[in-house]
Amino acid sequence: MSFARRPFIAALAALPFVFAAFSASAQDIKIGYNSDQSGGGAAEHGLSGLYGVQAALEDINKAGGVLGRKIVLINRDDTGQPPKSIQNMNELIDSEKVAAVIGPTNTGNALAWLHLPQQKKIPVISHVATGTDITKRYEKEAKNYIFRVSMVDREQVALLVAYAVKASKTKKIALIADSTGYGQGGVKDATEILKLHGLTPVANEKFQPKDTDMTSQLSKVKTSGADVLVVYALADANAHLMKSMEKMAYFPVTLGSWANLATPFVNIAGKKLAENLIFAASVTETSNERAKALNARILAKEKNLPIFVCAAQGYDSMVILAAAIKKAGSIDGEKIRDALEAIDGVQGIIKMYNNPFSKTDHEGLGVADFRLAKWKDGKVVDFEDAIAKSLTAADLKK
Amino acid sequence: MEAILQAVLSGLALGGIYALVALGFNITNNTTKTLNFGQGEFLVAGAFIGVTLVLVLSGKGHTGVLQPEDVTIVKYLTGLVGIIAVLSALGVFLYYTAVKPFVGAAGLAWVMSTIGFGIIIQNTALGIWGPAPLAMPSPFGNEVIRIGGAGILPQEILIFVVSVLVMVALDLVLLKTKIGKAVRAVAHNKNAAALMGINVPAIVILAFVVSSCLAGLGGLLVAPITTASVFMGLTLALKAFSAAIIGGLDNPRGCILGGFMLGLIESLIGLWHAELREISIFVLIIVVLVVKPEGLLGRRIAEKV
Repeated sequence: MSFARRPFIAALAALPFVFAAFSASAQDIKIGYNSDQSGGGAAEHGLSGLYGVQAALEDINKAGGVLGRKIVLINRDDTGQPPKSIQNMNELIDSEKVAAVIGPTNTGNALAWLHLPQQKKIPVISHVATGTDITKRYEKEAKNYIFRVSMVDREQVALLVAYAVKASKTKKIALIADSTGYGQGGVKDATEILKLHGLTPVANEKFQPKDTDMTSQLSKVKTSGADVLVVYALADANAHLMKSMEKMAYFPVTLGSWANLATPFVNIAGKKLAENLIFAASVTETSNERAKALNARILAKEKNLPIFVCAAQGYDSMVILAAAIKKAGSIDGEKIRDALEAIDGVQGIIKMYNNPFSKTDHEGLGVADFRLAKWKDGKVVDFEDAIAKSLTAADLKK
Repeated sequence: MEAILQAVLSGLALGGIYALVALGFNITNNTTKTLNFGQGEFLVAGAFIGVTLVLVLSGKGHTGVLQPEDVTIVKYLTGLVGIIAVLSALGVFLYYTAVKPFVGAAGLAWVMSTIGFGIIIQNTALGIWGPAPLAMPSPFGNEVIRIGGAGILPQEILIFVVSVLVMVALDLVLLKTKIGKAVRAVAHNKNAAALMGINVPAIVILAFVVSSCLAGLGGLLVAPITTASVFMGLTLALKAFSAAIIGGLDNPRGCILGGFMLGLIESLIGLWHAELREISIFVLIIVVLVVKPEGLLGRRIAEKV
């Protein structure tokens, strides 16, 4: 008998300590993190973002936390599935009582649950998802709780088209994209922005996201006489596009979205072929000293960092959030939200955030902050040529 | 002209895969009048087992990244041996658990059970390898071979050659050997074959083994082109099944013809309007079914009462 009872007594004796541990953590400020970390193609983005947020937390807590309290991260994996993402959001807001949320990785998941934080007055910073709609849905409400520190589809297309127009000698620019909402959204943006430059695309081709041979579509692009091609699709399809270009020995100047930062692009296309695509990015690990340091720091801890940009955006989202909590002097969601629109001079990895948000603008980053990048020898590096350097604010029409 | 040549080359490469998987449908249909609707997932299993063996032989984990120099012809062939071993076992297992209980019974229980078997394989693969596609460089390199201005990858030529070789080999075995005769006898009339002393269960199991191995071989062949992805099976199997229907489900040559036709239609229509590819394929299927329900090379069987 005594044999069986002993663990029970031990557990009883430990109870006060357990309570003590819980009461200590009740003092902590909880921030939720909800993104794909194991599911589909966005898992790399979610994990990289997580590493960035964790690095920022380390820095913040080392400096004494915020409002004299430590910040802790409550991490939830949505596996890329909207239902799971909604469930995570409910849990984070209702059970964990987080002060704010960073996430998600997929635009579709964001659109599935944006109403929850909006209704429950919990500010969200989207650190990866790029869908233009995310920050716009509640724009007209008295208080919009949705912010973003990431690339935005419309804004990156503005940069790509600006470069395309200057790079094209014949002013013949073609578009190619996958047939999904992502690809066709990009085509719509690109067509509209080309119009602002007084141009219309000379070819507009589509492929299925799982296609592996795009030579037929490329033949039509080639026949159209285009010397610049803008592609809007995910990493693996883009890699197959590069392979099809090689088959035809046809290499127009090719521009793409930040989706090409994902490793499937370089793994499928191979290191050499991958160098032929120029894409938009908010930062690369070689962009500045802060970026270099963060990259080295995360790599020292984790075995790999697939997408540095997401880590940088995660880091910046977290320091911006911490600055807002400090300014609000409270962990009340509404006060943090108001503070986000008022903060100024927050040093992030990508840039110094001077008044990043206003009542009407919830985008922390815009086309002016974006740069062009490319793969070189299996690594992402800044891409700079005479044309990229000559781009001025007037070129970046949106 | 160059564009058309390119489309033809790409179409033949694509068609080779459809043809290989379509052959797998043909074999089980001929012997048991059932089909393995999980054929696509068997292809997934083949691709992942092949890539994994090459990864392990290169001293990398099962989700590592292969570099071109890791994939040698010897490792690739070892992968093939592994695939044949595992897929043969899977084929036997499939037959006993998901086909045999329902053969001859009324209803289409085997349709659901083979689909279910495929889904079990797919989700097992998802559990082991995760959703990210595994890239595998071709053992024959990535240098594009130029034919009259159009380009083709060595791996694509390999697919074409292997599918034609497999077709010829199967044809010879079926028509010239004793075992082929036995298979044809079972296909024609099971009871009569059994009375003639043919071991019908053994022939049927052999059919499932060969069918599974063809799917596995397809997986190993496409992996360097499409990457090994858990989700690639369904589309490929659907196209292969369409190819079998167009060419004639009961005729191996018809299945091959259907496969190449489908590949060519896809890439040639793509030259015109890429979004019309799927539409044209399925319109063709409906037309074939109306005009010649047994498929282009299929044999019309008069039901004798």
